[in-house]
Amino acid sequence: MRQIFVTRGWILGYAVFALAILAVPLFIDDPYLLNKLARYLIFGILAAALSLSWGYTGILNLGQAVSFGLGSYCMAMTLKLRTIPIQTGAEGLPDFMVWNNVKMLPWFWEPFHSTAFAIAAGIAVPVVVALLLGWFVFRARVAGVYVSIITLAMLVVVNLLIIDQQRFTGGFNGLTDLADLKLFGIDFDPYSGATYYLIAFSLIATLIIGQLVIRSKTGLIMQAIRDDETRVRYFGYDVARYQIFAFSLSAGISGFAGMLYAMVMAFASPTFLSVQLSLSIVIWCAVGGRASLIGAALGALLVTGIQGSLSETPAFLNTWMLIMGALFVAVVLFLPKGLISILNFGMARLAGDTAMTDDDDEVPLAHGGKLGIG
Amino acid sequence: MSLLDLKGVEVQFSGFRALRGLDLSVSAGELRCLIGPNGAGKTTALDVICGRARASGGDILFDGRSIRRFEEHRIARLGIGRKFQVPSVFRELTVRENLHVARSRRTGVFANLGVRAAGGGADDLEKLAEFVGLKESFRREAGTLSHGQTQWLEIAMLVAQDAQLILLDEPTAGMTTGETRKTAELCKRLKGRHTLIVVEHDMGFIKEIGDVISVMHQGRLLAEGTVAEIENDPEVRDAYLGSGGISGA
Repeated sequence: MRQIFVTRGWILGYAVFALAILAVPLFIDDPYLLNKLARYLIFGILAAALSLSWGYTGILNLGQAVSFGLGSYCMAMTLKLRTIPIQTGAEGLPDFMVWNNVKMLPWFWEPFHSTAFAIAAGIAVPVVVALLLGWFVFRARVAGVYVSIITLAMLVVVNLLIIDQQRFTGGFNGLTDLADLKLFGIDFDPYSGATYYLIAFSLIATLIIGQLVIRSKTGLIMQAIRDDETRVRYFGYDVARYQIFAFSLSAGISGFAGMLYAMVMAFASPTFLSVQLSLSIVIWCAVGGRASLIGAALGALLVTGIQGSLSETPAFLNTWMLIMGALFVAVVLFLPKGLISILNFGMARLAGDTAMTDDDDEVPLAHGGKLGIG
Repeated sequence: MSLLDLKGVEVQFSGFRALRGLDLSVSAGELRCLIGPNGAGKTTALDVICGRARASGGDILFDGRSIRRFEEHRIARLGIGRKFQVPSVFRELTVRENLHVARSRRTGVFANLGVRAAGGGADDLEKLAEFVGLKESFRREAGTLSHGQTQWLEIAMLVAQDAQLILLDEPTAGMTTGETRKTAELCKRLKGRHTLIVVEHDMGFIKEIGDVISVMHQGRLLAEGTVAEIENDPEVRDAYLGSGGISGA
């Protein structure tokens, strides 16, 4: 059967992808490059998370950097506390607090002495924020572009708040000079293979979890909501709950990605909660294919990879943004379902036996598609 | 004992009174046809039952329980299913997936995480698709179906939902004579086990399936009775005046 063939093809595709990213350190000696690739993989996680909410549920979250940033700060706080003995003496405070005349460690910093707490908080805080925001937004049946505007506004608010509370957050500079995370006797040096593998496995885990959700009936209902939110209600499903679930799941994964990012960069700053990053995630998803987890992840790797190499090539120093823009426009115009639709097309063709020729119009390429918000 | 009771239901859309004290009572297992000239409030009547429109007055009892203030999904869970005039299915999902979503025995997010999208009694669903002539299209995206096929899919989805009360808004719109006959046959088959309220314009269809017909006019119930009684009712004739009588509506 064609269906089975295509499904198997995809499983194979995921396996090849997993092996490929795991094999990378075997061929790379340059720690700087490895660190850079690890960063790209984190962007892959972020894009896959947005795919769950945007591509599968129709919620275009323009404030995904909130979750990412909150996660990164949670990790940065615990790593910052590790640096106290070296930077300000055993009984001291994080260096930026000393500069800001803070006399006592604020209460909400206390629990971050525990790494386990920090890791739990890095996921829980974004999830709780998403639950609260989602509860208000989706219960009130806000839909489409208005959800995007609200999430964008949320991002700006949180960003300003963090910059404003310099005494507790380090303000514009953020939390810098972080210690390495040490867990189970492993030192996760940002430039080490250990960190790269941690991130690669996290991306693989994200794809697996995402697939499990999508291939459940809950995932099916999420897609039904994307198609026609109102119709779903008349089958007895509480649409808001499904939307909140997708929104929060995406936020939790993004928070986790943020933690990894703070480790890799050895700092956390308000730029992690920037509008620019949020919009970049949308572009990665759109380029790769928002309704495909692996497509979105590949989109992130591809776009950030090209971006990285172009911006570092002297010849493109002034034009790389233009080239990226043109690429984005071209993909959106000609492949509304993203680059992954080329693979889809190829696989359907490979599998296409004569009995199924009338199914050709099912091929994503042939669809009008929409960049649609909602 | 009636399954559904509308008592003096009022619905307003920014000043326009779409329903002006509608009284309607339907017994369990009945197949009720709802007719009336354009703008009589037939679709609004279905809307207010399934929660799409809100009643500003009166009450709606389902199984003796007031559902007037319930949210749509709660009304659906009580056992009320709705087919819309403009066929509305999930266009990017396959026929099978549409039916799987429609069969909503469990509605919770976490309960459904444990149910496979690909599983869930595919045999049943395939039989259902076969029943409405969509077996060949079982794995096709619903967006690629023709208008008539889409109508059929939505009807099959209501059967999958297994609602106690099924509200059909012009189920035969855009159908050929053959398809209309098949729909009539299906309606008769559903009667008894399910209760149906059907809004229709096609008098041939109504004569074939209808026991009791309710005629609406200007947001109110005008008359009720068998086809013969309705056709000879002078008030009904007046209401349809100028539109060529009841059969020409």
